[in-house]
Amino acid sequence: MTKPVVHVDHVEKIFGKKSENSFKALDGVSFDIYPGEFVGIMGPSGAGKTTLLNVVSTLDNATSGKIEIAGKDITMMKQNELADFRSSELGFIFQDFNLLETLTIYENIALPLSLQGVSSRKIKPLVHQVAEKLGIKAILAKYPVAVSGGQKQRAAAARALVHEPAIILADEPTGALDSKNARSLMETLEHLNSHHEVSIMLVTHDPLSASYCERILFIQDGALYKEIHRLDDQAEFHQQILNVLAEFTSLDRS
Amino acid sequence: MLWKLLTSSMKKMWKDYIVLLFGLTVSIAIFYMFQTLAQNKAFLEANALIGSIVFVFHVGTFILAFVTIFYIFYATSFILSLRQKELGMYMTLGAKKGKVTQMMFFETLLIGFISLVIGLIVGVGLAEVIAGLLMKQLGFNGGGFEAFYSSSLITTVIFYAILFLLTAAVNAVKVASKSVLDLVRASQQADPVVTKGWKIFFGTLFSIILIAIGYYAMINMGTFMQVGVIVAAITVTLGTYFFFMALLPFIVKRLKSIRSLNEKGLNAFTFSQLQFRISQLTKVLGTVTMLIALGLGAMAAGLSFYHNIAIQTSMIYANDVAVYEPTEEQLAEMDSLEFLERNNYSYKVTDEGVYFLKDDLLNNPPLIQKFTGDIDQLTETARVDDPLDQAEYSDTATNEEQMISDDWSTALRNELLATFRIFGDRTLYIVNQEKFGQIESEVASVMVGRVENFLDHEDTLAAIDEHNKEIASGYTGSTPDMIGSKYDNYTSLKALANGTIFMGLFLGIAFLMMMASVLMFKLLSSASADTHRYQMLRKIGVRRSKLSASIYKELFLVFLFPSLLGFVHVIVGMEMFSIILIEPFTKIWIPVTIFLVIYVSYYLLTVQMYKRIVLPKEK
Repeated sequence: MTKPVVHVDHVEKIFGKKSENSFKALDGVSFDIYPGEFVGIMGPSGAGKTTLLNVVSTLDNATSGKIEIAGKDITMMKQNELADFRSSELGFIFQDFNLLETLTIYENIALPLSLQGVSSRKIKPLVHQVAEKLGIKAILAKYPVAVSGGQKQRAAAARALVHEPAIILADEPTGALDSKNARSLMETLEHLNSHHEVSIMLVTHDPLSASYCERILFIQDGALYKEIHRLDDQAEFHQQILNVLAEFTSLDRS
Repeated sequence: MLWKLLTSSMKKMWKDYIVLLFGLTVSIAIFYMFQTLAQNKAFLEANALIGSIVFVFHVGTFILAFVTIFYIFYATSFILSLRQKELGMYMTLGAKKGKVTQMMFFETLLIGFISLVIGLIVGVGLAEVIAGLLMKQLGFNGGGFEAFYSSSLITTVIFYAILFLLTAAVNAVKVASKSVLDLVRASQQADPVVTKGWKIFFGTLFSIILIAIGYYAMINMGTFMQVGVIVAAITVTLGTYFFFMALLPFIVKRLKSIRSLNEKGLNAFTFSQLQFRISQLTKVLGTVTMLIALGLGAMAAGLSFYHNIAIQTSMIYANDVAVYEPTEEQLAEMDSLEFLERNNYSYKVTDEGVYFLKDDLLNNPPLIQKFTGDIDQLTETARVDDPLDQAEYSDTATNEEQMISDDWSTALRNELLATFRIFGDRTLYIVNQEKFGQIESEVASVMVGRVENFLDHEDTLAAIDEHNKEIASGYTGSTPDMIGSKYDNYTSLKALANGTIFMGLFLGIAFLMMMASVLMFKLLSSASADTHRYQMLRKIGVRRSKLSASIYKELFLVFLFPSLLGFVHVIVGMEMFSIILIEPFTKIWIPVTIFLVIYVSYYLLTVQMYKRIVLPKEK
């Protein structure tokens, strides 16, 4: 059996001081993501999706429990180690793209490589390769402000991919896109996942985007609520997701 | 309720407000400091060499006021940029426009008032410290200078009160004229810099040509005179602005296009920040450069006048010391001076004349400064070699042959100090041994010597002057005010120049501080718009130390370019003074050091404050 690329073990996250006004955002969450998996995280607002993503992405630290990424325990790392770890092992895609508007698309994509000290001779082919995969070769010389939202998000995806991280963490990547662009981006991610074995963890509230995943973890009140697998048909999976979400709504009503 | 909202969000944005307060305070303090001197007419007129000094300070006040007005308008519109989104939100929630406008007005005024109080206190302190330091360094005790000068205080208060009222009104009007949507949508979008090729080409060309013309005019000031000054002032200023509009963006662009450099670490980000920054700051950088040039130029020119005094006196005197009838004690003390050369000359004094022994003069002919007629080197040191064939010479002789020659006369008067100050209206003679022996008087002697650097022995030289004055009173019955020695000349010239130099330095320092603070404020006021970029970089895994290094590097370059160009302007500009100063570049390191200290402090302060604003907090 292969080792998981993300191993989350009984993770708790408590906000506020322990005695007063404390709030448990994550309550003993455990799951694994294996190499080449495309996993979605869903749940109603306030369920702890973003907290989970922040904790896994090392931007925030867990109160207790253990998180291993690519075999390394990130809960014990110091700030600088975490920064280095993020830059080498993680790829981020955010809802609002988070491209640097003062850099061209090319420079944005090249940044993670430059940061790791890759020589500029090697950077160029790598950037072109990933841009080719995402279909944004034509806009490399442009600034983010001059390209469409969909292209921006592809550029962000290219930046997340270029240094071949252990896993891509995507936080509502389709949140700021129209449905056509959203679909096209999800198709691209699915393609990257199935043809290039890229591991992806996707946090979303959009059932359609989620239906591109292979497996979805639903969380509710900081704990794992349900896990569903996609069998074959995407439309069917979509329906399945909607059904689970409907359960949440009825839970709320009861 | 609105007031409560206002104060609470001011607390939230205290970092931005601190920057604003700091900027305003510095401006007020410097304006006040400058006024303490500019308005003290009695002090100016009593202590300046230049008759039109009051006018110079009026011009200075004008320039400073001009810069200040822009600065204050910019700074207060910064308040608006901080607040407009929030004000818009209040309005969407139903706050009346009149109320919001009123709020903006009073907020601007309140901040103005706070900074005025702090600024005046800082200004008094600054004036006290800087004036004290300068006076001590120059050995100048200009009486009448007051750090706490009520008339300047009043002027500063009135000037800023009007400015703040005006800007508060402008801010209020701006809020009033905007629709709710305008306000809500207001956000600082960083547009990328797209520079057109031909614009850069022509701008660069213009910049180089203009600066070249200006430099040519300044270097050849002797030929062009006043026209040259005007031409240089116009072309260099314009060229400087073009430099920042075209040439500098071009250089950064070239830098960015070196892939191996651009794609190393955070460089791509640093350069693009720089590129973006420069495009925002072209006018400020140009202004800063010109004012650095002016401030540094004022200090350098003032100081080189000062240091030229020593050179000027050395052009008149070949020897540094002449002691009449030295005592045993003095002779012993003389040994410590380490003379390069020293000679003794015997003389006798009667009621009618002073007789110098010819043999002494011929055996050790004294050095004098001879005029060459060459503009570049007015005098040269040479030994008197005119023959002394006659038995007797005098300065009142009727026949040509017995007249003391020009060179010997120079030697006696300038080097031996044998003038009316010591000997009254006695006639000077040079006589042979035979005649010397016949004169019924005691033999006395004067010692003349030359040292490495006479400024190393100021105390001894002052004591010798006093001693010579006593001797003089023995001969003439009255003590002269001056003895006419090299040191004597040096100190009186220095006293004359000191006041002027003090003012030049004061003016220069005030300008430099103002300039650097303008740059600092401009940088910091746009800092909060950069925050999200640093946060993003942090997210994708850039170490804090690397972000910090990138800030150091970027701001270093922003500070570097105006200082470099300003510095070159000064170096070339000082050539102008070569027509009135002998060595315009002597000790140029002093103003340069003052400048560097001020500028580097501002740089480091800016980096620290900028880091506080943009870097994400570390847990």
